[in-house]
Amino acid sequence: MLNILIIGNGQCGNRILDAVNKEAFGGKGKLAKFYSKQKYKSRVETIAINTAVNDLKELKYTKAKDRIHIPHLHGVGANRNVGKQVFAENHSHIMRQIEERGSFDVAFVITSASGGTGSSFTPPLIKEIKERHDFPVYAIVVLPFREEGSLYLQNTAFCLKDIRETGVDGIILADNQFLKQLGGDVESAYNSINDMIAKRILFLLDALDSEMMMVTDLGDFKTVMSGGAGIATIGFYQAEKDEPIRTTIQKSLSPAGLLFSTDVYEEASRSMIIIRGDKSYLSIDEISTEVEKLSASVGHVFKGIIVRKGERPQVLSVLTLESASELENLYAVAIDAINEEREKKARVLEDRNVDKVFSKIDGLEPQY
Amino acid sequence: MVQTKRMLVLIICIVLLSMMSAGNASAKQILYNSTIEDGDGYQINNYVIDVTDVFVDAETAVFKVYEKDDLKHDKMIGDDKSFSFEIEGEDVEVTLVSVGGGILPRVTVTITISDDDIVHTKGVVDGGHDKASFSGTPILEITKTVSPQEIAVGETARVTVSVTNAGDDDATGVRFSDSIPARFVLQESFVSETGKMSLDIGDSRQIFIYELKATESGTFTLDPTTATFSNEAGGDFPQASSNSPTLTVEGDSLEEAMKEAELQFTISLEPTSVQRTGFIDVKVHIKNTGDAPAEGVSMDILIPDGLEFEEGDDEIEVVGNVPKLYLSSFGLQQEKEISYRVKANSEGTYTITTQYSYQYDNAVDEDLQEVSDELTTTSIQVVKGQYDSLLEQPIYVYAIPLVLIIAIGGWIFYRHRQYRF
Repeated sequence: MLNILIIGNGQCGNRILDAVNKEAFGGKGKLAKFYSKQKYKSRVETIAINTAVNDLKELKYTKAKDRIHIPHLHGVGANRNVGKQVFAENHSHIMRQIEERGSFDVAFVITSASGGTGSSFTPPLIKEIKERHDFPVYAIVVLPFREEGSLYLQNTAFCLKDIRETGVDGIILADNQFLKQLGGDVESAYNSINDMIAKRILFLLDALDSEMMMVTDLGDFKTVMSGGAGIATIGFYQAEKDEPIRTTIQKSLSPAGLLFSTDVYEEASRSMIIIRGDKSYLSIDEISTEVEKLSASVGHVFKGIIVRKGERPQVLSVLTLESASELENLYAVAIDAINEEREKKARVLEDRNVDKVFSKIDGLEPQY
Repeated sequence: MVQTKRMLVLIICIVLLSMMSAGNASAKQILYNSTIEDGDGYQINNYVIDVTDVFVDAETAVFKVYEKDDLKHDKMIGDDKSFSFEIEGEDVEVTLVSVGGGILPRVTVTITISDDDIVHTKGVVDGGHDKASFSGTPILEITKTVSPQEIAVGETARVTVSVTNAGDDDATGVRFSDSIPARFVLQESFVSETGKMSLDIGDSRQIFIYELKATESGTFTLDPTTATFSNEAGGDFPQASSNSPTLTVEGDSLEEAMKEAELQFTISLEPTSVQRTGFIDVKVHIKNTGDAPAEGVSMDILIPDGLEFEEGDDEIEVVGNVPKLYLSSFGLQQEKEISYRVKANSEGTYTITTQYSYQYDNAVDEDLQEVSDELTTTSIQVVKGQYDSLLEQPIYVYAIPLVLIIAIGGWIFYRHRQYRF
């Protein structure tokens, strides 16, 4: 049995973590936590960290003892410098909370790259864990909508850079801009994205600790994640009724099934495909055909098959990327945003128009 | 054969003569059979038989019979000779048995009387009739009066009985007898001398004073009051009787004059069959169908175990777990309905008993008449309640779900605490 640590940093990380805990109850509804048990195959410890207590209070499926509030007003206001300072002041408390939960075989840190607490806490937290422990740590980073503003874009750019420099074992990207195709209002879109990410994480955790017909384990996952540029994404698809396994594999690798927009046949470096379902659906020929097709482009493909009686086929694919054109686009936009912010600040310092208005009444007294 | 018949006739005659002589002998009762000295006498009641002269040599003696001081007989008889006279209708026979000499001559006599019941005084009197003590005759005059002599039905008349001893001797052992006449009620007795008493010569005394209430009209003659008595010497005298006064009673009879309050109680139930924990409405209807108003009407409603008094009209007051009702007055032809509600607590068949009482003035008697009785409802059936079967289940039927609920509640609370931040 694997010992797995999942940390959700900031509002986005907290919510995805809560979605993971909710999904672990089997998606039975709001009352499931009162009568059901989380179906983790491994020993999974989840920790939600936030400087905004209200964000922690919103969580429904994460136990109170697993919610760590780092008091600092009501958040760090998307200011990563403040966030880093707050983490530095509280890192021993945070690490103690983590280490009290025992030793782990692998850790995932979920965060938004654009926010305040998550984007500023995650790099130093991963660095601290990597310095103290030898288990692999993977960051699951959520990229913002491009129109969310210049501060979020520059935070994203610097956050990703900072995470890569911590010695993290891999970054799994989920792009809100790409996933907003799910539609609906803002809240339901966010919830759908969170649920989608949570479902993939749970599938992955389940796969890493299951008996398989064809084996993929944590070692394989490490190998896959160590390939390429250290950037990865996850694809997933659950077959509709009577949909063949071949189509299911294809759809898990298609843009509709991925968390981050990429052409896997062009940009992927290594891959792992995990197939789960009733054996009646699992045609070895079809599976081999599709895996061979992918490996012809990617190079090496780890595949695992989990037989579950009566289940329709589901396919999870983990793909590390050699390059990511979408990420390059993101950085181009982020650089523009950083420049724009810098110019704005310079103008304010030069003009000081507001100060001039106030200076007009210097030396005068009110008359009554 | 002829001789045998003569012998038989002779025997029969002898037997008959013997019987006759025996019958005569038994008719005489010997009062005295001994000696009397010369100058002494023998007293029988107010008579004295003096022995005045004794002639020893001639074997004769002179007897003089006095009634008190009056000389009635003067006889000189010899040995084995007798003379007779009457005292109060009874024959007295004096037989000279013998004469004897000595310091004082004496005679031996036998004195008999045909019936000694009349004898109250007897014996030898030293000195003869001059020294004898004689008893008198008490005469009791009993007077019975009634006042007034005319009354109406329901009114009273006072009867007074008095007595005077108009005789020449004290009356002893006097006992009066008086009776209450029919159709009258003894209302009150003031004087009643019913024991034995004595009345000296000339004494007067009130023996009875009482009041009679007339219950019926008519003219009534009261029975005389009688008395039995004796004189000082113990002699009984014929019964004395009073006069018989007449009392006239006018108007209706007492029964006709009498009035009555008659309260009719009726009870109705709704419903008569009810499930346990259900309610029964009880209505008591009271109506005075008599010709007199009632007072102090009280009702005690006796609720049996298994039923419980729930609520009722304001007049009903629960005292010591007993619902009670009190109405100070209840007029002629007045009607009233009392309502109350009882709750059925236990299965079973019940009746509710109401004890009631009231008083009224019957216009005849001085005291108020009291009526008390009870009435009972028809049967009330209390059947099993809708949820009673639940209560009959064994304890584990409740305990297990309860434990489960508590466990689930505890678990939910525990989980809630786990997730509350």
